[in-house]
Amino acid sequence: MIEVRDLRKEYAGHVAVSGSTFEVEPGEVFGVVGPNGAGKTTTLKTVAGLVEPTEGEVRVAGGDPTEAETRRSLGYLPEESPLYEEMTALSYLRFFADLYDVPRGVADERIHDTLDRLELDRRETRTGDMSKGMKRKVAVARSLVNDPDVLVYDEPASGLDPLTTNYVVEFVRELADEGKTVVFSAHNLYHVERVCDRVVIMNEGDIVARGTLEEIRDEHGGVEYTVETTVEVEGATEEGGGYRTTVEDMDGVERVREEARENGGEVVDIRTREPSLEDIFLDVAEAT
Amino acid sequence: MVLALAIQLFIAAFSSFLVVGLVSLYDPGSGSVEFAVAGDTDEIVDIVEDEDAWTATRHATRAEAVDFFERGDADAVLFVERPGGGGDVEVTVIAPRSDLRTTLVVSSARDLLERYEDTERERRAASLGVETVEVPEGEASPYHGFTYAVLVPLLMFLPVFISGSIAADSVTEEFERGTLDLLRVSPLSDAAVFDGKTATAVVIAPAQAALWLALLSLNGVVVASPVGLIALVAGVTAVAVGFGASVALSFQERKQAQFVYSVGVMAFFVMTFALPEPSANTVAKLAVGSATWATYGHVAVYVVLGAVGYAVARKVAGRKLS
Amino acid sequence: MRPRKVLRIARWEVSRSAGGLDRRSLAYALVALLLVAGVAPFAVDGGLYDSLYVVGVDEESGYHDAVERSETLRAVEPSEEAFSSGRLDVLVTDGVRAADTGKGRAAVSELRDAVRAYNADLLDGYDTAYPVSVDLRYVDRGTAVSADDASESVSGGSSGGDGTEGGTDGGTDVEASGEEDGFSFPSGGLDGVLGQGGRAGTPGGITPPFPFSSLVLAFAFLVPLNFVIQAYSTSIMNERIDRRGVLTLASPVSRYEIVAGKTVPYFAIALGTVAVVAVAVSGGVASVVAVAPVAFVFLALTFVGSMFARSYKELTFVTVFVSVSVTSYVFVPAVFTDVDPIAAISPLSIVVRDLQGATAPVSWYLFSGAPLVFSSAVLFSLGAGVYREEDMFTQRPVRLKALDALVSWLHRRASVAKVSVLLIPFVFVAQLLVVAVVFALPVGISVPLLLVVAAVVEETAKSMAVYAGFVSSVFERTTPNAVVLGALSGVGFFVGEKAAHLAQVVGLDRLEVGRAALGIASDASPLVLAVLLVAPLVLHTVTTCIASVGASYGKREFGVGLSAAVAVHVAYNLAVVSLVA
Repeated sequence: MIEVRDLRKEYAGHVAVSGSTFEVEPGEVFGVVGPNGAGKTTTLKTVAGLVEPTEGEVRVAGGDPTEAETRRSLGYLPEESPLYEEMTALSYLRFFADLYDVPRGVADERIHDTLDRLELDRRETRTGDMSKGMKRKVAVARSLVNDPDVLVYDEPASGLDPLTTNYVVEFVRELADEGKTVVFSAHNLYHVERVCDRVVIMNEGDIVARGTLEEIRDEHGGVEYTVETTVEVEGATEEGGGYRTTVEDMDGVERVREEARENGGEVVDIRTREPSLEDIFLDVAEAT
Repeated sequence: MVLALAIQLFIAAFSSFLVVGLVSLYDPGSGSVEFAVAGDTDEIVDIVEDEDAWTATRHATRAEAVDFFERGDADAVLFVERPGGGGDVEVTVIAPRSDLRTTLVVSSARDLLERYEDTERERRAASLGVETVEVPEGEASPYHGFTYAVLVPLLMFLPVFISGSIAADSVTEEFERGTLDLLRVSPLSDAAVFDGKTATAVVIAPAQAALWLALLSLNGVVVASPVGLIALVAGVTAVAVGFGASVALSFQERKQAQFVYSVGVMAFFVMTFALPEPSANTVAKLAVGSATWATYGHVAVYVVLGAVGYAVARKVAGRKLS
Repeated sequence: MRPRKVLRIARWEVSRSAGGLDRRSLAYALVALLLVAGVAPFAVDGGLYDSLYVVGVDEESGYHDAVERSETLRAVEPSEEAFSSGRLDVLVTDGVRAADTGKGRAAVSELRDAVRAYNADLLDGYDTAYPVSVDLRYVDRGTAVSADDASESVSGGSSGGDGTEGGTDGGTDVEASGEEDGFSFPSGGLDGVLGQGGRAGTPGGITPPFPFSSLVLAFAFLVPLNFVIQAYSTSIMNERIDRRGVLTLASPVSRYEIVAGKTVPYFAIALGTVAVVAVAVSGGVASVVAVAPVAFVFLALTFVGSMFARSYKELTFVTVFVSVSVTSYVFVPAVFTDVDPIAAISPLSIVVRDLQGATAPVSWYLFSGAPLVFSSAVLFSLGAGVYREEDMFTQRPVRLKALDALVSWLHRRASVAKVSVLLIPFVFVAQLLVVAVVFALPVGISVPLLLVVAAVVEETAKSMAVYAGFVSSVFERTTPNAVVLGALSGVGFFVGEKAAHLAQVVGLDRLEVGRAALGIASDASPLVLAVLLVAPLVLHTVTTCIASVGASYGKREFGVGLSAAVAVHVAYNLAVVSLVA
């Protein structure tokens, strides 16, 4: 559904993205993560057709997104929700439906459906008078007004309270389950973990890791074991009367068990922990 | 700010051009004119001979005079007839089209014929026994009045209008960009915030007016009471800026604020016409040097109005902001 | 560009803006209008010229009545002391004495008019107030004359010995635009503002062909345009604040459609108000047609300004700048409408003609309108070049924004030729502006001045794109590169310039300064013409190479290179002028 090949983007001599390649399959939720300035937003803007690549190629639903017609099948949600504040939510959405050639009847039905799902009731309110959360909901509704196959969401949860954030993230998952292809960026990795099928991690314009979450975990650190012993062993830290050692594989666990026995103690607890994306991210960022 | 200065210079240059152009290029008294006259010409020729800049050649027929004119030996043809014998006079004037001198020629012809009309009137009046007043002599640039009564007021009020508009802009900008909250939480008092937004706007218009007066005087248009003019401009500016900022605070959006502001300021300007002296006339009198006590009274009213208006706007703003 | 999409955006722009002015602001406006209406009855009394001059005159004197009747004059007690100290402009005792100042002369002239009106009134009862009636006719000397009565008309044809007037093309039939009489149309209250006027058909009714009242009325066409650009600039600027415009850019419409859609309503409103003004001041369709390019250029400049401005405050300056510069460009030449062919530069001259009840030749429309329309089109394309996500939301100084906009046209080296061609309308407009300003000076000063200015304008236009390309590192800074770019730009400019000359239906060729500015040489020999065709090509290429080699080193070197290029260009211009002359 989305193909990005050797994408490179420079702004006035500064390189924002230096040669990314990735593909997104239909129905997939694809996460782009990384710290500020990693090139996430630029990547998403190129996919949305807002920015022309300096080099490389971007195809969305078989077309070039910088061509107006290709954007017909795209729904873009920018990081901030800039609305035309003098318009009401309803007329704002109708305006965009019109731009996408959606007939008025179909548009109204779709707008009300989406707003129902988003639980937004004040539809005749000027968007300028709305709270941040409500504005974000209007912006999300706007991205769906043309019933697009591809959604490009840049930090969909940015600046929202936890409740609304959860709500929006769940909503994205639902949309993907309905068959939409979603690319979304975030720096709150918790959300990425919850909804993304595959992710790329970007740092300073480069993709530094990619794959399903399991693949990335395997590659970067895998599982961790925390072994609690009654006596001190090498590299252990004292905690609550006992000693804890963190090791990376079962061999390590055996080593700790051996040492504890030699020192006249024993293992009282072994806990496993899967690495979070955050850990992986830190790991990757340190490596590069 | 460079742009702002460039614009001011541009406007000043433009208005100076207008003034210089009007005053010098079209000064009717500057240059000699030669008339080819035919018909009943005795009195006309007498008048021409009274004026140093004019000369006349008599011709027996109209065709002859036209020929003379066609050859470029005269600037215009005057053909005078008295169809009813001693009654009304009919004059045909033939002037060249599309010539830089045309203006001079035609205004000289007008002057000449007006004097001719004067003598005709005197003659009638004498025969009718009516006592007319002798027409005084003297000719002046017809644009002296225009310069002081239209151009100078225009130049004085334009910066006022722009100042208020800028004050409104700087307030709506805060709303549009959502930065007003930052100012509100700052340790500055609300009145200080208001002053900060409007101070430049209040100062800039009188300064600009002063600059223009200086430029005008370089162009030979000297103003009699610059201090009075600048006091008036300062007063009106305070009104406009206070009004502009209040409107912007109230509407918080540029398009509306500018609309209401423009309409309001124009209404204010028109309403001054209900005063004994319209604002533009007050400016004209101060500029030309015919100010009376009433004129200075008007200036005082504008200054007081400005002070009060600005203070009220500041107070209201304080309440709006907190 | 799909008209359907453009219209759709236009429709929404209208409905949004209508929503933008809510009931509250309209209510305020209404209150203001009511206040004005309430004041109006009092306001008609107060004039701009009231009591401008002070006359010392005894109440017993006949002059006192005349002075009392004049609003411009104020009568006070006569006093020698007040007169000599300058408090009186005119003193009437045994005779009439005026202060020896501009004001004194103006005052006595005013008094004269007042006395004449007074005398006319005295005689009015006897039906002989206006004993002299005047018929004023304008004729073209040395050409066929049009007059209403053939038998009485001035004999036509040039009778040999002229040659002082009308240039060397004697016998050419100059536009015979029918009989124009010298009496201005009755313009009612306006004469009060202008401080002139008299009864038509009398000596006082003669208005010199300086079309003062028509000019002021023509000015009225420009006033509403200022309000239109105010709203338009806000609308464009608001798309840029907080990145609001990003979502329309993400929708399936192109940026050109967005720009066109946002502009169409304002252009329509501008034309609408122009039409209303035309009806109000009894102008015709000609006025509306003539002002349309002016409205277009107002919007084009405003658009570019709104794309470059960083804040509302800057935007206000931009709109004022646009308004003042366009106004002076069209206004100054129009001052000479009936006097000099220079007026053809300005569309407002057509309006002035129209208001005088005369028609302007069709060539005037083309000559005045085409440069404005082309310039506007280029400006729109320049602005639309930065109407995209990467440029429109950034806060960069106007100068850099302008360079960015130029850079958006540069894709490969040949692009500089294209840019040179695109800048030709501006070069043309800039040169016309200079012609308009200096033409009144003696030829000895104005022609050399023009040659220098022309060189500066042309060299700057040709090398801007090359410089922008180097600064933004679109092109590599090497000398061979600079030479290639310079040559391309020079050739592009040459081709564009020649095309513009061919398209020029009417020339300013009757005017000597026009000839110098535009390089028109109609009566030169074929050999000279051939040289004249090849020489500019060489000139443009060489000078642009000089400037662009400078540009490849840096900013200061660009300045040096550009100055050198200008110097070469001026030398060439002087050589050509002396050769042709």
